Amino acid sequence: MDDNRILTLFELNSLVRETLSLTMGDEYWIQAELSEVHPNANGHCYVEFVQKDDRHNSLSAKAKGIIWRDQWVMIKSYFEQTTGQSFVAGIKVQVLVTVSFHEIYGYSLIIHDINPEYTMGDMARRRREILKQIEADGILTMNKELPFPLSVQRIAVISSATAAGYGDFCRQLNDNASGLVFYVHFFQAAMQGKQVEESVLAALDEINAHRDLFDAVVIIRGGGATSDLSGFETYPLAAACAQFPLPIITGIGHERDDTVIDIVAHTRVKTPTAAAQLLIDHQTEQLTMLEDAAMSIKENIIERMKTESERLNVLAERSLRGIPLRVDKELLRVDSVCQKLQSGMNAIISNEKHGVDTLLNRIMYATKQGLVIEQGKLRLIAQRVDDNSPQKVLSKGYSITYADGKAVKDASAVKPDSELKTVVSNGSIYSKVIKK
Amino acid sequence: MKSMDKKMTYAEAMKRLQAIVSAVESDELDVDQLTVKLKEAKELITFCKDKLTSTSDEVKKILESL
Repeated sequence: MDDNRILTLFELNSLVRETLSLTMGDEYWIQAELSEVHPNANGHCYVEFVQKDDRHNSLSAKAKGIIWRDQWVMIKSYFEQTTGQSFVAGIKVQVLVTVSFHEIYGYSLIIHDINPEYTMGDMARRRREILKQIEADGILTMNKELPFPLSVQRIAVISSATAAGYGDFCRQLNDNASGLVFYVHFFQAAMQGKQVEESVLAALDEINAHRDLFDAVVIIRGGGATSDLSGFETYPLAAACAQFPLPIITGIGHERDDTVIDIVAHTRVKTPTAAAQLLIDHQTEQLTMLEDAAMSIKENIIERMKTESERLNVLAERSLRGIPLRVDKELLRVDSVCQKLQSGMNAIISNEKHGVDTLLNRIMYATKQGLVIEQGKLRLIAQRVDDNSPQKVLSKGYSITYADGKAVKDASAVKPDSELKTVVSNGSIYSKVIKK
Repeated sequence: MKSMDKKMTYAEAMKRLQAIVSAVESDELDVDQLTVKLKEAKELITFCKDKLTSTSDEVKKILESL
């Protein structure tokens, strides 16, 4: 072999570089998936592009890429501000590249520009495809259709221990003004990156194994202007959330788009704090319902007292007009009704376990006040009735005369020779009509 | 008394309470029944409030054991 034809490695690589620079155009727009993104200490960013063959689940192309420091600052902020999505591995991008070959470092793509709309379109398309499949499966609204329990206290939280959101959630929940109690159990999961799907599914499985111990599931992460939520956009995760037997509340802190799990979840809020507030509001509503129930009962009893007192009033009026009635008996009856109501109320008040149960005490106090007023009225009426009772009148020297068992009010109704009975305060006198 | 059943859930207690409220509102109870229902309502309200605002060590323990 002719030694003159033998090249050094450097010479060969130089040849490749020269050939490439001669034959390749200046710039190309390419579409590819980022499989690695490594900003380094110098401020440059090293990436790796891949193209996947979905049918064979294999790679069909792969290339290194470099974004030099000056471009990296601009591209990163432009991309993230436009899409709300972090520039991270796993997303698809459309970038403007030049092809470079270096004798030592080999083949790589130098990135000069990016088209964020492509990534947004790709994420939206992926989301649409997942949702279409979920809908075709007939499970799209399954979680939404779960009834929200009356009391939601035992909360399974899926979050990352390092995420600020979990602390915010717990603080908001525990500092509620109504003294509501919540039981929070934490399930660790990755809230960004490739581990999201696997770790959230594992957490859901664990919760499902103990689903009787929980009322609801909350998936939360602290937000920010940009985040990498691509890990949430997967069919297995969306399907698991949609079919989960407990209602799921998401607060994964994304300002722009809902992820697929936001869409299939029972309730979607923007932030962990909002998720906590939702639970507080729900429980506060229960307290209000209890207050309403107590109020309704109170009003009904006051109404009942009024009815009884009016009944007595009628009796008293009739009695005052001189109609002899068994007023004492009626009085006793109404009085015993009032006493029963009173003792019912007392039972409610004195049984109070908690010294300062403001809600109940306030209502019961008001009810008792109403009762006392009504009873006072009854006593006044009773006094009036008593003042005019036949017994009182007789003791003043009046008498009642009966003919044929009926009180005589009309002299013409009494026939001569008929027998009369005259009642005075201490007895009866029997007599005969001599003259009319 | 039935309403003191410790195993009763919040939802069951609330359901029973609302049934009492409806009965009381409908004026169909005589005074004796009313008194009994009042006591039951009071117990149910206390039970429900307790669930919402008092910490149950039992629930805490179970969840901590997970």
